[in-house]
Amino acid sequence: MPDDSDRLDVPRATVVPRRRARISVVWVIPILAAVVAIGLAVQRILSEGPTITIVFKIAQGVEAGKTVIKYKDVNIGRITAVRLSDDSSKVEVTAKIDKSADGLIVEDAKFWVVEPRVTLSGISGLGTLLSGNYIGFEVGKSQKKERRFTALEVAPVITSGQLGRQFALTAADLGSLGVGSPIYYRRLQAGQVIAYDLTADGKAVDLKIFVNTPYDRYVNPGTRFWSASGLDVSIGSSGVEVRTESLVALIAGGIAFDTPPFAARPEPAAANTAYTLYSDRPTAMKQPESISTRYVLYFHESLRGLSAGAPVTLLGLPAGEVVGVGLDFDPKTLNVRGRVEIVSYPERLIARMGATQTAEREIFARSGEQRHAFLRHMVEKQGMRAQLRSGSLVTGQLYVAFDYFPDAPKVKVDWRGDVAVLPVVPSTITDIEAKLTGIVAKLDKLPYEAIGADVTKMLAGVSVTLQDASKAMNRIDTDVTPELKTTLAAASRALVTTDGMLNNGVNTTLEELRRTLTTADGVLKSTDAALLGKDAPGQQELRDALQEITRAARSLRTLADYLERHPESLIWGKSGDKP
Amino acid sequence: MTDPGETVACPECDLLQHLPELAPGDKARCPRCGNTLATQSTDPINVPLALTLAAAVVFIIANTASLMGLSAVGHHASTTIPGGALEMWLQGEMLTAVVVAFCAIIAPGGYILFMLTVLLAVRRPPAPHWIGELLRWADSMRPWSMSEVMILGILVALIKIAELATVVPGIGMYAVGGLVVLFTAIMITFDPREVWKRVEWTDYGAEAVR
Amino acid sequence: MTATALTAAQAGLVSCETCALLSRPADAAEPGHCRRCGATLESRRHHSIQYTWALVVAAAICYIPANVLPVLNTTTLGSTDSDTIMGGVALLYTTGSWPLALIVLVASVMVPLGKLIALSYLLISVQRGSIQSNRERTRLYRLVEFIGRWSMLDVFVDTFTVALIQLQPLMSVEPGPGVLFFAAVVVLTMIAAESFDPRLIWDSSARGRRHA
Repeated sequence: MPDDSDRLDVPRATVVPRRRARISVVWVIPILAAVVAIGLAVQRILSEGPTITIVFKIAQGVEAGKTVIKYKDVNIGRITAVRLSDDSSKVEVTAKIDKSADGLIVEDAKFWVVEPRVTLSGISGLGTLLSGNYIGFEVGKSQKKERRFTALEVAPVITSGQLGRQFALTAADLGSLGVGSPIYYRRLQAGQVIAYDLTADGKAVDLKIFVNTPYDRYVNPGTRFWSASGLDVSIGSSGVEVRTESLVALIAGGIAFDTPPFAARPEPAAANTAYTLYSDRPTAMKQPESISTRYVLYFHESLRGLSAGAPVTLLGLPAGEVVGVGLDFDPKTLNVRGRVEIVSYPERLIARMGATQTAEREIFARSGEQRHAFLRHMVEKQGMRAQLRSGSLVTGQLYVAFDYFPDAPKVKVDWRGDVAVLPVVPSTITDIEAKLTGIVAKLDKLPYEAIGADVTKMLAGVSVTLQDASKAMNRIDTDVTPELKTTLAAASRALVTTDGMLNNGVNTTLEELRRTLTTADGVLKSTDAALLGKDAPGQQELRDALQEITRAARSLRTLADYLERHPESLIWGKSGDKP
Repeated sequence: MTDPGETVACPECDLLQHLPELAPGDKARCPRCGNTLATQSTDPINVPLALTLAAAVVFIIANTASLMGLSAVGHHASTTIPGGALEMWLQGEMLTAVVVAFCAIIAPGGYILFMLTVLLAVRRPPAPHWIGELLRWADSMRPWSMSEVMILGILVALIKIAELATVVPGIGMYAVGGLVVLFTAIMITFDPREVWKRVEWTDYGAEAVR
Repeated sequence: MTATALTAAQAGLVSCETCALLSRPADAAEPGHCRRCGATLESRRHHSIQYTWALVVAAAICYIPANVLPVLNTTTLGSTDSDTIMGGVALLYTTGSWPLALIVLVASVMVPLGKLIALSYLLISVQRGSIQSNRERTRLYRLVEFIGRWSMLDVFVDTFTVALIQLQPLMSVEPGPGVLFFAAVVVLTMIAAESFDPRLIWDSSARGRRHA
């Protein structure tokens, strides 16, 4: 440090003193910080959405601070608190809604918990296994704002954005239907059941269904709905017929609809139109007969096997049906006889008239008198009589057949009453029995051994066929309706009876038997083809589904295996992937 | 009277001249060419005060705003600094939570509070003697206020998490960064000697040597 | 410079650690309080060597469980993985983030160990009355004081990882028992550095010269 003597005589640097009044520029920093802080606070206050309370019966998987409310897969709010209600019977959940969603929180908005669910219409909510449950939201139509809600227990089946129309169905019972059961139109899924309830008088079930666009325009006032659950098995002259809408309908029940051509109307049905749910397609699509006439027939023979609904035929073609089977007591002769009430549907016959006979069809369709006159002519002049015939030897069902019997004695019919009594001729069933007893003696002389050997061979064949059938029964026991079982049981019973009859030696019955066995064999063959054959359609669907499931299960297993060995791969990725 | 100062040569015109001791805020200029030779840092009291005020505001933002937001597979999460300490407490590591809270919240907050009080008080000297104690407290808080270690820790955590989820830095993170910068600025501009000059002396046992 | 280096202790004066005021102690044993700032005056930090040793040993004891016990437990879909500090470093390295691995390795493993070694060395050198490399030792002390706080890095990383990754059932992270011991190591070594009086390094030289 230089002392005074060393100091050079140098001038002094100019000192510029600080201007006191100036505020140092550093104050900008805290002012800036304060401005930013206030801005943030204001923004947070302004972007505060409403706080709402939702009451749940049970809020599974809902956590304060974590669970979110989603609408159309967008977060619109978050749960802030979960606590029991005052009476500890419900759970009160407080949520903060985003400002942007404020307008959606109206009176009839709906909330529910979204979690993995298996319903009749499928599996939903699997994503929540990973992300945790969230609360689903559906807008309401009201304009009034609301801040307190009660949650739904299940997700609403129809979201508000879905296009379509709602209808009401009345059914005798719910059957295998439930919320979410599919509605089919020509085997395409067109909608679903959204709700059901018992009617006020408890005698029927009201269903609410929703048919999606574009199928809803095929619903018109004349449309028929029927329950398409399960299998429809019918045994007819062509064999066994099995119908089902789809595998889902088989399991979950379903409803199908279509418009019968005679009832078609151009305008689509209005929303909430009420319909009846029929039990099956034939019933639903049955044309209500507009023309029908009742008649009565009296029989002196057994009416066992004849039931209401049995067909009435004219020359073998369907002309009506039996509506009542009963007894009639004649006080004068102290006679008890069978009384069968039938109704004729001439339209069915008219429909079958040849295409060239349009004029004649018109006449019959229009004029009741013409029909009546024609019937009179047939009965009185041409010997048209009613006769009980066996519809199927196997089931023992009878039906009423009208046919020409020129040898029949002439009868006077009283046409004056409301319901005319038509003349009958005895059936040939009893004839057969008489014949049978007559032939017994003849058959006594027949070579039993030879016949017996023949029959044994046939029986062996039949028993093989029956074994196949029982195998088939074991395989798809649940699918085949009891009718089939009874059919086969009856067949075996018939065979046993036949066996007994054979020991007495009956020729005609043998022939009948052979015929029946061939039919049974054919019946079983077609069952086989429809359900058990390698390429049976029902099986194909099943097999495809099973293949898919196996494939999915296999790949899931590989993933699970890998994760077990390398759990950290979830965080760090597969080793070796990174750069 | 010796004028404290030194002899210098102007770097621009090489004039030899005497540079006197400057008062805060004064600027010394070469009389011949006008080149600024030296500036005395302005106001060792007001500058740190402004910075401490800013630090106080930023500290509040840093502790209330979310540090970062995370979203993965439908889960969303975010945390603040007190939230992090709280989560450690809830997970059973209570002592660690206390340590984290102290190093991340209490120490820097305390430092800011004490410095604020001291700086405000010494604007109008003489300040009461307990101001000196407060300054001592502030000084002892300083090694424990680890905001810059924390922000590095948060960044490491962020990079680790960013591999498996989408991470969005929040306002809290920027606020902590700003806090670190402000702390450094405060420590640079603060001259404790100014404070000691303005605090009134107590009458304790030891005798001072001037 | 021809004048001999004179320490305040030699001159019988006490410098206030807070405000640097040089005072004449009221009493040799009880120097009193600084008149300017009120701090308790001490010629040298109270029982510096004893306290520092105690803290260093305690920190060393905590250092073992800090590295052996896991610091982070990651639960993924039900299965839990525990990671120690070294395990975490290795994981960071193998997944390719080697800069992070390096940072954590230096801050969490090498720095605490270095502090323990450095403080032990300083203590031993002072206790043996060493007069070598005073300036280097003072620099070492400054380094220990400066770098100490950065070991807290891993504690912060753990804290915020735990706070964010609570995504049950997919993944959740919990702190392990090692975290507490690790925080203890950092805290103890920081206090140890505070209680060590660096002036002791120079005292040996002063004593030596006086007696020389």
